[in-house]
Amino acid sequence: MSDHKRLDGDRNDSAPGDEGVNTHEPLSGVKGYAIGLALASLLTAAAFILPGTGLIWGPAIPAALVVLAIAQMGIHLVFFLHITTGSDNQNNVIALAFGVLIVALVVLGSVWIMNHLHHQLMTPADMMRMMR
Amino acid sequence: MFGKLDWSAIPFDQPIPLIAAAAIGVILAAVLGWITVKGHWPYLWNEWITSVDHKRIGVMYVMLGVVMLVRGFSDVMLMRTHQAAAFGASQGYLPPEHYNQIFSAHGTIMIFFGSMPFIIGLMNFVVPLQLGVRDVAFPTLNSVSFWLTASGALLTNVSLVIGEFARTGWLPYAPLSETSYSPGVGVDYYLWALQIAGVGTLMSGVNLVTTILKMRAPGMGYLRMPMFCWTALGSNMLIVAAFPILTATLAMLTLDRYLGFHFFTNEAGGNPMMFMNLIWAWGHPEVYILVLPAFGIFSEVFSTFSSKPLFGYRSMVLATLFIVVVSFTVWLHHFFTMGAGGDVNAFFGISTSVIAVGTGVKVFNWLFTMYGGRVRFDTPMLWALAFVLYFVVGGMTGVLLAVPPADFLLHNSMFLVAHFHNVIVGGVIFGAMAGYEYWFPKAFGFRLDEGWGKLAFWLTVVGTVVVFGAFYIVGLEGMTRRLQHIDNLAWYDWIMVALAGTLLIAGGVLAQIMQLVVSIRHRDRLRDETGDPWDGRSLEWITPSPPPVFNFPVLPDVHGEEAYWEIKQRAIEQQQLSEVPDYQPIEMPRNSPTGVITAFFCTFVGFALIWHIWWLAALGLVGAYVTFVVFAWRDEVEFEIPAEEVERIDRARRESRQVILERGAPA
Ligand code: HEM
Ligand SMILES: [Cu+2]
Repeated sequence: MSDHKRLDGDRNDSAPGDEGVNTHEPLSGVKGYAIGLALASLLTAAAFILPGTGLIWGPAIPAALVVLAIAQMGIHLVFFLHITTGSDNQNNVIALAFGVLIVALVVLGSVWIMNHLHHQLMTPADMMRMMR
Repeated sequence: MFGKLDWSAIPFDQPIPLIAAAAIGVILAAVLGWITVKGHWPYLWNEWITSVDHKRIGVMYVMLGVVMLVRGFSDVMLMRTHQAAAFGASQGYLPPEHYNQIFSAHGTIMIFFGSMPFIIGLMNFVVPLQLGVRDVAFPTLNSVSFWLTASGALLTNVSLVIGEFARTGWLPYAPLSETSYSPGVGVDYYLWALQIAGVGTLMSGVNLVTTILKMRAPGMGYLRMPMFCWTALGSNMLIVAAFPILTATLAMLTLDRYLGFHFFTNEAGGNPMMFMNLIWAWGHPEVYILVLPAFGIFSEVFSTFSSKPLFGYRSMVLATLFIVVVSFTVWLHHFFTMGAGGDVNAFFGISTSVIAVGTGVKVFNWLFTMYGGRVRFDTPMLWALAFVLYFVVGGMTGVLLAVPPADFLLHNSMFLVAHFHNVIVGGVIFGAMAGYEYWFPKAFGFRLDEGWGKLAFWLTVVGTVVVFGAFYIVGLEGMTRRLQHIDNLAWYDWIMVALAGTLLIAGGVLAQIMQLVVSIRHRDRLRDETGDPWDGRSLEWITPSPPPVFNFPVLPDVHGEEAYWEIKQRAIEQQQLSEVPDYQPIEMPRNSPTGVITAFFCTFVGFALIWHIWWLAALGLVGAYVTFVVFAWRDEVEFEIPAEEVERIDRARRESRQVILERGAPA
């Protein structure tokens, strides 16, 4: 509603994807989206192709995939969700920080918990071995 | 053609579901017939079903919640009477596979389709009014959210007659919920109903967060928002952060069941314990999603009925944000016994106890709000007082369960059942009831009858204490949860006490329904002429009851923490209303059938996926997508309400305000 636009509290703040407000953003408009799409596709393709080529040392492949995934998220945030560091982006940055915090809590917590379970408990396979 | 669906899906051999379904069918047919005969369809379609007005959608959410709470309560009656008759030699009247479906459906319905819609409905109705704006950020999306939730509720209830529901409990723990142990469609009903409703919940979370962050009346800074808006913000931030975990976890279980994946199976590298871990990483935040808005309602009620500003407003805000973050660090307390060991258990035990600090701060603030105030004991206030007493006990038994060695004894006992009902009934349901009694006059323009309200209150509260008191005790005596048959006769007396308490609550439910009926009949006597029946303090009370579509003729100018209270006091001091504003035409969003049509198709998608009717699923998906495309290409988005019309409506409001002013003291 046009009414709300005019009357909302923080005039300096724009929603993700709002165009026109962030005009000083380095890459805006179709060009920005095209570059973003190209980079995102490149990273996706790399994730599928690299492990098969032998270019990366076998045991390091999971680490490489993690790196590619994080780069992918960065591309999305910058090119598609327009999270930049400009001062007009306060809400977006807070939202991002909250998101990162929660993801970190849940992922690190789960890794910690599952690791401990792994050390404490026998797997069904262990159990078969013991019974033999 | 029809996948797994054939006549054997209908339980012809089981009289209870058949009779229940037939009764519901008859009632439904009668209601629909009555609507048709009276010619109410155009009104319903234009004013409610396709409405994108946040107030109407809020009311429909609450109605869905109320109906589902009653539906969930019917399961309670079955479980309590069955258990009372299933001691020793007698077997009760529900076979195990049916009893298991009943407790699973009870939990699922009460949480996802009773409490959630009720609470979301109250937020939808109240938040824009309290913020001083005209609607939520995305009005049509709001309608889609509501109808998707209703679609999930419908699927869950369809399972009563076509097929079966899950027998796995309200959280379908793997590997029990995998195809090897649950080959039927029960778990599939659960999965698709929750996925569809979950999408709706997530979208409504996004909608309300955006509304609160981006659409406040001029001058309404964050630290001037009413407490309910703050807790709504906290709750919806939790929805946005936590519901994707639920969606992903259920999606993995779905892949296991439909495509032979092995995320949570025992074989082929799957890990069922990962299911427990993930489902509770959503599950604990979920309990705060429910209870935070209830805390907000109580904050409003305590301050209004003590005729005082909320004590410690800023510490309340901090406590809310503290709970938002810390609720993501405690989930392991639901599976201390799984075997992660001392370090992990100690960490999560301590973090769980720490979260009680946030709630403790709030309890003291509520007490100090009443201290020195002129306290009025209307029905909403009674619910709030009962809540404080009740919730403190529930919180303390929670902290007891948070001590891992104690939890090894009490986990999955009736003591645990008593704990979570104590906090959910005493927190969420009492909060919903307080909110219902408090905002009903605003929504419909007349008050609810106090006599029946108080009767319902006393019956429910006493009944709840009796039932869950008995549960605490049998829990300490060693009774475990979800027993279809009981061998130990020592528990008999307490189970009978619980049955008696259940009957009291049933009386409370009936009194609550009577209250509505009586109030509708006497609505002329109970009419709220002023729009401010409780001597309120926040902006919803500046509008007439019920508020016009546009809520506010001109958006209010906010100068302090209690926006409406200050405006009211100024008017009383100066003995005149604020100046007549310069009325402008107002643009409001057009109604749209997008929500109901999308949900219509999604219901078929869900049903088809449950029964493996692939062509129907594809058709439904195409239908839902086309509906969305048609909406995206609409060209008329808004309609205009002319300035004269706005003025006419506001003049009536000002006249009624003038009357209060002349009467002198605040009404
Ligand atoms: C004061 C803070 C609270 C503490 C310390 C606490 C602690 C706990 C603990 C340790 C358990 C697990 C017990 C077990 O499984 O053996 C538990 C279960 C539960 N709590 Fe709380 N709790 C608190 C508040 C709440 C609130 C506010 C709600 C809901 C509004 C809630 C709802 C539940 C539910 C639904 C379960 C168990 C569900 C199930 O196993 O099916 N709790 N609580
Ligand atoms: Cu918990």
